[in-house]
Amino acid sequence: MSLLSVEGLTKRFGGLVAVDDVSFAVEAGEIVGLIGPNGAGKSTVFDCLMGVHDVTAGEIRFDGAAITDWPTHRIVTHGMARVSQESNPIGRYSVAANIRLFTLPNSVFSFHGGASDAEIAEYAARVDLDGRLDERPGELPHADVRRLEIAKALATEPDLLLLDEPFAGMNQAEIRTLSEQIESFREAGTTIVVVDHNMGGLMDLVDRTLVLHNGRKLAAGEPDDIVANDAVQQAYLAGEGA
Amino acid sequence: MADAEGRAEGAEGAAAVLARSRSTLRTSVVRPVGSVATRLLEPLDRAASPAAAAFNRSLGQYFGTVTGLQLLVLITTVLALFAAPLWAPYIVGNYLYTLAIACVWAIFAMAWDVQSGYTGYISFGHSALSGAAGYATALLVVNVGPNLPLWVTIPVSVLAALVVGLVVGLPALRLQGPYFSLITFVAVLLFYRLTIGFSEFLGGETGFQEVQAFTYDPTLRFYYMLVPMLLVAVGLTFVARSNVGMVFVAIRENESAVAAAGLNPTAFKLWSFVMSAIPMGIGGVLLAHFSGNVTPSSFVVVNNSIEMIAMAVLGGIGSVLAPIGGAFLFVILRDEVLHGVGHSLRYFTLWMVVLAVLVFARDGVIRRLWHAIGAIGGDSE
Amino acid sequence: MSEWLFRIVINGAMISALYALIAIGFTMIFGVGGVLNLAHGALIMAGAYVFLFLTRTIFLEAVALPVLVAVPLTVAVVAGLSYGLYVGLVRYVEDDVVITFLATVIVATALTELVLGTLGDQPYDFTVLAGTTAVLGTTVSYTELLGFVVSWFAIGLLWYYVTQTDGGRSILATSMSERGAHLTGVDVGSVRARTWLIAGGLAGTAGIFLVGGDPSATPLMWLHPLALAFIIVVIGGIGSIKGSIVAAYGIGYLETLTVELLGQGFRGILSLVVLVVVLLVLPQGLYGREFVHG
Repeated sequence: MSLLSVEGLTKRFGGLVAVDDVSFAVEAGEIVGLIGPNGAGKSTVFDCLMGVHDVTAGEIRFDGAAITDWPTHRIVTHGMARVSQESNPIGRYSVAANIRLFTLPNSVFSFHGGASDAEIAEYAARVDLDGRLDERPGELPHADVRRLEIAKALATEPDLLLLDEPFAGMNQAEIRTLSEQIESFREAGTTIVVVDHNMGGLMDLVDRTLVLHNGRKLAAGEPDDIVANDAVQQAYLAGEGA
Repeated sequence: MADAEGRAEGAEGAAAVLARSRSTLRTSVVRPVGSVATRLLEPLDRAASPAAAAFNRSLGQYFGTVTGLQLLVLITTVLALFAAPLWAPYIVGNYLYTLAIACVWAIFAMAWDVQSGYTGYISFGHSALSGAAGYATALLVVNVGPNLPLWVTIPVSVLAALVVGLVVGLPALRLQGPYFSLITFVAVLLFYRLTIGFSEFLGGETGFQEVQAFTYDPTLRFYYMLVPMLLVAVGLTFVARSNVGMVFVAIRENESAVAAAGLNPTAFKLWSFVMSAIPMGIGGVLLAHFSGNVTPSSFVVVNNSIEMIAMAVLGGIGSVLAPIGGAFLFVILRDEVLHGVGHSLRYFTLWMVVLAVLVFARDGVIRRLWHAIGAIGGDSE
Repeated sequence: MSEWLFRIVINGAMISALYALIAIGFTMIFGVGGVLNLAHGALIMAGAYVFLFLTRTIFLEAVALPVLVAVPLTVAVVAGLSYGLYVGLVRYVEDDVVITFLATVIVATALTELVLGTLGDQPYDFTVLAGTTAVLGTTVSYTELLGFVVSWFAIGLLWYYVTQTDGGRSILATSMSERGAHLTGVDVGSVRARTWLIAGGLAGTAGIFLVGGDPSATPLMWLHPLALAFIIVVIGGIGSIKGSIVAAYGIGYLETLTVELLGQGFRGILSLVVLVVVLLVLPQGLYGREFVHG
């Protein structure tokens, strides 16, 4: 049984159809790429998966449970975490404290639970942030803020990690480093879905690719096949392009 | 065009004027005074450092860390409060009475802060919580019997506050910011109308006078108010400095991050109400037994909610302990310093002071003082 | 039967017209600056008391202006008060929603104390225009009638301003998209100040006519109109002028109906209950935007 199975996902905002009857599955241990031009609906799919939006139609099953109507925090506790396109750190907390929040147990009676300092340092280390634990997000360069977002998601110990445009704003070297780190997450047992609007960044990283265009699934397959696909080429040229 | 430009400058000018006046104050008043104070107090800080370090090691993770000087100030304040019956009678005024009242209101201010200041969901209806407790006590005394033992009436009254807190909180917390505040506002208005509307049961404008005061001896009464206040302070500080407090702050700073962290925001918001309602109930009971009177104007009227908020603002929102200082400041200003002034002018002045704090020192007067004390000794920032 | 129906239609219209005045100013300030002006009710109260002061001998025995002069003067004074409130206070704290909230509530309370201190807490009655007449068989006071006319006149004036003049259009633009307006060269600060001015004028007008009889002017009268303004604006949608008018009439008629059927005592409680119900069912209201954090 697939780790994640999405069937007929549709999301309408008033008159606008952002996601139109999208179906796909993700198997445990995969790294799947979700690509498409700007406005294709990729982030909305993630929003629906994470319970941020009420789904107009369709069903989402994750790790054996039907999570379509679940609230966000319950989905996270069940094992799916997401790193958004926009970074969202808590400015008044240090890097370590930001990560710490994501390790707290969901119980109002837990006054002193959560991860130890060593464990927090470990999460930070997985994205090379362990040297910056006491700094504030406002003091960090852009790439490090993005890494903090990833560390926070990792701290929830997810089985499935959704990464929304993790490479945005990074240079080639940073992209390569992050790709290697993402591969290491997979080796540690986390399944990953990566969104990007640029095929190039994902080529070597993903096992499989899904292409979205105007909210619909356009194509699916191995990266090489997708790049050669005419319809995909058209979508990118006709739309906002790569 | 030139006119529009002028006005544009005017709008940005507001922030600039504020900044300039702040820096002028800083260079001409604060710094000179500060440097003299530093030189005098630094040795004290050094002397107390070992004690502070010991405190931090043992209790720091539960209650927060302190510097040497801060620990000294804390201990001195607590001792001074306990010794109040010795020195208060020498100051012109009714200080033992005033300090006792201030203790009760300090509880209210702290309780408000732990919910509103921390989570950012500003409640205007907290006087409904203390009112529930006060009225519960009064109703028990009047309807069941004047000789009900305290160990019955007190828990029941605190429970009443908790119930009202949940009744208001459960529906209200599904809403965002100002809508939430509005419902709390409405809750207090409704409570007030109920006491008037159902005056046969709820006493109407005149309320109840049948509650027995703890004691009329000013000294004993002061201790009856002081000790619970300190206990509440310890309890709420523990909560605020724990993970639960961290989540409360996170809710204020970034609620969606809380959900993304796998934490149920609504459950924690409700919990903040619970953590707040219990001390509000305690304070309500204390207030009821202070004078023996339970009336709408001393318990329920919206003004009381706003006074609690004002005290927390003066002290410092979002810190639990600073509101204690704010409450003492407010009550002493109101009942002692402005004593000779007429009721309305007194309150008008107080509100002007609060407005000034909101504009010029929005993180609170007492909090700033605490940080200033902490800065003496050099190794903090 | 038809007499009863006419009574509801007429009385409902009278009270709704005033509620519209109350709500529009409140929603404009929110739409343009994101500020929920909790002192709005106090401004309405100011309108009532300033008018009283100008037309009656509360203070100075000699000063008693005729109604024709007092009405526009009151409106101007309250408009100025509101403008001053923005320029003198809110401007410095509007970056923080919570602080602004607290500041405006304190202003409202302070204004109440001012009135209490200078004029005492006994209620004052006054009528703008003495006498009554019959409309469709219902007794209506000239004050109420005048209030109705003035309300629609003010709405019309506002509509013209907001749709036909540059100044007014910049207000509309800013309330729809602050960044967009800023990018097209609109001076947001001056737009906000002007909005507060207008809102103050509307509040002052409402204050004059609201207290044409019952309830009379008291220092605590800021609470009920504020709650009403909030209710109407929440139902009609925060930031939407059209929505506020519709909702004002809705609430006005609902109240009139309730008073007819259940008696005067329930007037206040009903609107509070409606608010609670609406908030739980429809947080965005009919026309407007949801309140979004930060």
